[in-house]
Order: sequence, then C-alpha cells, then structure tokens
Amino acid sequence: MDITDYLKEERNKEWRKTLRANIKPKDRTAIEKVKMPEENPNIRNTNNIEVNKGLTKEQALIEASRCLDCADPTCIKGCPVNINIPKFIKNIENNDFLAAAATIKETNSFPAVCGRVCPQEIQCEEQCFYTQKLHLPSVAIGYLERFAADFERNSGKISVPEVSYKNNIKIAVIGGGPAGLATATDLIKLGYDVTIFEALHEIGGVLKYGIPEFRLPNEIVDIEVNNLTKMGVKFVKNFIVGKTASFDDLRNEGFKAFFVASGAGLPNFMNILGENSINIFSSNEYLTRINLMNAAKTQFDTPVFSGKNVAVIGGGNTAMDSVRTAKRLGAERAMIIYRRSREEMPARIEEVKHAIEEGIEFLNLHNPIEYIADENRKVKAMKLQKMELGEPDSSGRRRPIPIDGAIETIDVDTVVVAVGVSPNPLIPRNLSNLQVSKWGTIIVNENMQSSVEDIFAGGDIVRGGATVILAMGDGRRAALGINEFIKSKIKA
Amino acid sequence: MDFKNINDILDFAIKNEQQAADFYYKLSNDSVEKQMKETFLAFAKEEEGHKARITKVKESGEYTLEEKKVLDLKLGDYLVPAKTSEKMTYQEALILAMKREKAAYKLYMKLSEIAPNDTLKNLFKGLANEEAKHKLRFEIEYDDIIYAEN
Repeated sequence: MDITDYLKEERNKEWRKTLRANIKPKDRTAIEKVKMPEENPNIRNTNNIEVNKGLTKEQALIEASRCLDCADPTCIKGCPVNINIPKFIKNIENNDFLAAAATIKETNSFPAVCGRVCPQEIQCEEQCFYTQKLHLPSVAIGYLERFAADFERNSGKISVPEVSYKNNIKIAVIGGGPAGLATATDLIKLGYDVTIFEALHEIGGVLKYGIPEFRLPNEIVDIEVNNLTKMGVKFVKNFIVGKTASFDDLRNEGFKAFFVASGAGLPNFMNILGENSINIFSSNEYLTRINLMNAAKTQFDTPVFSGKNVAVIGGGNTAMDSVRTAKRLGAERAMIIYRRSREEMPARIEEVKHAIEEGIEFLNLHNPIEYIADENRKVKAMKLQKMELGEPDSSGRRRPIPIDGAIETIDVDTVVVAVGVSPNPLIPRNLSNLQVSKWGTIIVNENMQSSVEDIFAGGDIVRGGATVILAMGDGRRAALGINEFIKSKIKA
Repeated sequence: MDFKNINDILDFAIKNEQQAADFYYKLSNDSVEKQMKETFLAFAKEEEGHKARITKVKESGEYTLEEKKVLDLKLGDYLVPAKTSEKMTYQEALILAMKREKAAYKLYMKLSEIAPNDTLKNLFKGLANEEAKHKLRFEIEYDDIIYAEN
C-alpha cells in the first residue's frame, strides 16, 4: 500500500471520524495554542534541570484538539522521517497516549529526543494548515510528540518492536549518533545483525556530547538507546573505525556493508590572531568535557576552566548551549558575540528566548578580530569589529560588512568558538577510493551509497552539519539502500 | 618596476597571473589528498582565466577595467596566514588565496599611486579592482562555510 492510501485508510477509521465530528473546525481553530511550562529562569540558570517541563495531560488534550485532522496532512511532508502526525495527535485527543507513542515509533524510534530538539518550527509545524492557510500559530506538534513519548516512558510500558526474523548478515554502523541509531533501528527490523561502533565511551553522539542536559537529559537518550539493545543491536564503545580496526579488518570479520555516520566533530576556528591563547575553547571541547566528562564537577579529574567573563562566538544552537552552560557554571557576564542581528540567528527562536530570560548578553553585529593574552598566555581581552548588514547572501541572511574604524576591546577570561563545524576527517582521509568533497564530506548517491559500493554514509559526515532529524532521515534512507545492496549481492 | 607604456603594465599583470597559476599548479602537484589536488588545480585555472581576461584587454586595445568599488568583507585582513604544505586543508587553501589576492590588490594600488599620469593610474586601479573581486570570491566561500553559524 502506498503512503497516500495508508494515510487515507487510517483517517477513515471510525474512531477518527467520530473525533472529527465531536468538535467543529471553527471551534478547534478558536482554541489558543498551548504554552510550554518552563522552569524559573533565575533558578534554572544555576542548575542543570531541564528548562521545558513538558505539557500536562490537560494541556496535551486541549492542544491535540486544535489539530483539524486534515485530509491532506501537509505537516507530514515537513517531517524528514514522515511520522504519521495526525494519527498520533488524534490518539492523544482520544486519550490513548500509548497508541500515540506507538504511532510515532512506526517511523521514529527517538520520539522523546526529537520532541525536545527538533526544529519543528521550520519543519512539520511550518507546513501545518494553521501556519500555511490560517496564518495562526501551528499545532504544537513537537510538544505533543514529547508528551506522548514521556507518557509512555513514565508509564513503564515502553513498546519495543519485536524482531522475529534474523538473516544473520552482519552490518557495521560507524558512529552512535542520530544517523547511526536510526539506521540501526531500521536494519535490525529488517533482520540484519547490526553492530554500532562508537569512538566515545557513551552512545548518542551529539545528543550526548553536544546538547546539555538542561535541553536534553542524558537519561532520555539512554532509555531510547536501551530500546535498541532490547531489539538486538550490539554496541561496541571506545572503538575507532580507521584506527582501532580498518574497514578491511571488519570485512574479514564478516561485515557485508557499512554505514558511516561519524558526524561533524571537527570544530571550525576563525584563524585570527591570538586564537591559540589559553582558555579559548572550541564549543565541541567545552561542551563535550562538561556534558560527557563531568569536567565542571570538582570531584572529577578533568576540570574545565569557565570564567567570569565568558564570550561565545556564534549564533547557532551550539553557541546558545555553550553560553547558557557558562552561565550555569558561574559566569557573571555570559555573552554571545554574533556578526549579524537577531533576525539572522540560526539558533531556534526558543533557545534564544531562553538565553535572554537567563540573563545572557547579546553583542550582535560584532565580530572578533583578535584575542589579547596576558603574560601567562591566558586570554584577557578581545578586539571586536562592529558590523552592519549588507545585501542577503546565498543563505538568504544579510551579509555582515565591517564598519571602517569601529573597533572596540572588551575584557574576557574565557572564549568559546561556536562558528561552525566540519566533518570528522578520519574516515574520508583514510580511504583513498572514497569520493569526498573539498570540504571533507562524503559524497553519496540518493540511496546514501558512497563511491565504495559497500560503504554508505549519512548525517553530518555527508551534510557537514545539520539537524538531528535530518541525520535520522539519512539513516532511514541508508537502511533501505543497504537492504537493496545486500539483496542485489545475494541475487548475483 | 619600470613601466614605459600601457602594454608594459598589462604584460606585468599577465605575468603575475601566470605566476599565481604556476604557484597553484605546484601546490596541486604536491598535495597528498585528491580533493586538494583538484582544489588547487581549480584555483590555477581561475588564475589563468584572469590572465586571459587581461590578455584580451591588451589585444583589443580597450583599456577599460571596471572601477566600481568592490565589497570588502575584510575577512582576509584578520586571518593568520596559512603555511603551504602537502597536507593543506581547504580552509587553509582559501586563506592562502585570500592573502595572495589582497597582496596583489595592494601592489596595484601602490603602483596606481606612483603612476605618472591618469591613464596609467586608472589602469592600475582597474587591475586592483580585479584582484579585489577575486578576493571577494574566496572571502564569500570562507564566510559561507567556515562561519556558517556566525
């Protein structure tokens, strides 16, 4: 059955018809969009407690009733993993929260993660009928996704898809981040013997090392990863494919195909004067050491210095995560230094709002041009070039132009550079027959297959830095590609 | 540098562009990674494209090079110079290219200041402007990729 027929059939079920008939569309659209309950900004900026508290059952029921259960659900087109959004929302309206969670899990094994970190406002919610046609705030799809997932987890009745068929064909997934986890989920369901090789000592990739607990608690990731273990996925930690073992070593061990999801763990520095001074970190290092290695806790032996005057360079989610972390570690001034204005910031609107509430300062239209260190080579100040906005660039954002002579110096004792990331170079550099772009991303076809026929790739190693859900979408496509590849080999 | 006439200037500029192309051909040859070999080869071709443009100006006898002010993002001004090596990254390659174009721009601007008459001054300014355009092309790529979240 194709997807359109499936959606139609589901929508025509009696319970959906009854629900639609219960409330008139004009009464549904008259309901105000729910507001996410949040922790108090002046308290939360001193601890690591999750900022968004999640919807109550009553809020979720009301919000779910705003959804019109459209005949042409455009929201699904905005979802990179094609969740049956109306079906899960109508299950919530129908008070069947476990069924809602099960619906999401038909195509996404990480609903509690995605409900928290997906940029729904530029994906499913942007395509919502409310946004497109009514010019009203969309249905809070992300909040509802999180609600369903949290309800299921807290109920103790987490559904784990049963994997009955096993073909004993070994597939290696390289990287335990969003793309790798998504591929592994689909491949194990197809019967493959899947092993995830992870370089770090924890599974989750950027979900663990990059996103702080106040936005995504590690426990949430662990529980969803644990479901994969229950399904039969094997995990090998502290294992670097390309160093610990080569692709040929793994081929000799019987692995028939590979999915490379090694991410974009290489931080971009600006290459300006003084950038090598002490206490200037990449956001990757700063966040990894704090999120994954307990560096901010005195009882651990890998301390990270986080000072009183902290400047974070950049305007993306990683910059917001870094600056809000600095505030929580005791910074008196935690500043965002960003070249453009707030309108051009790539960070989610919600993250910027939370940062402002927590007392983060924004030095927009400023760009660092030099760092000044003290006699011990520790950073003590930075020179900032004031900018103005010119014409839009290829991203549609107005390009920042320096204002002649407008340079100021500010005191800082810690700097976190969060201007962007590049693909992890280890695998692209070590496989001479792998086709790689000049920026180091692996080049793949529409099935996520690389120039080496048994190597597939997806997520940030292909995209160079994107969202969790786009990486998961790649992972799902790659699983289909790998399945086709294996089938073609068996036939041959 | 002793320029007796316009053709001397254009010959000098043509030679400069060829030297730049040769520089990148050598880097391409020396690079270990395939994609960097291709990158420097592309840079070399771009320089030869600039040479062809100036050669055309010389052959046509129409010495009108655009003098409209080119946008200067000044990214290259604050970057630490990249050292050439057989293992350069694309980021380093862009820094190198930006710095070279800026140096060429400055040279032509200096020559325009000391040129004995307006015709020569304007020609040097036009050539400087060409180099500014080349630098902008590298700055924009650097800006879009390295500063993606800035």
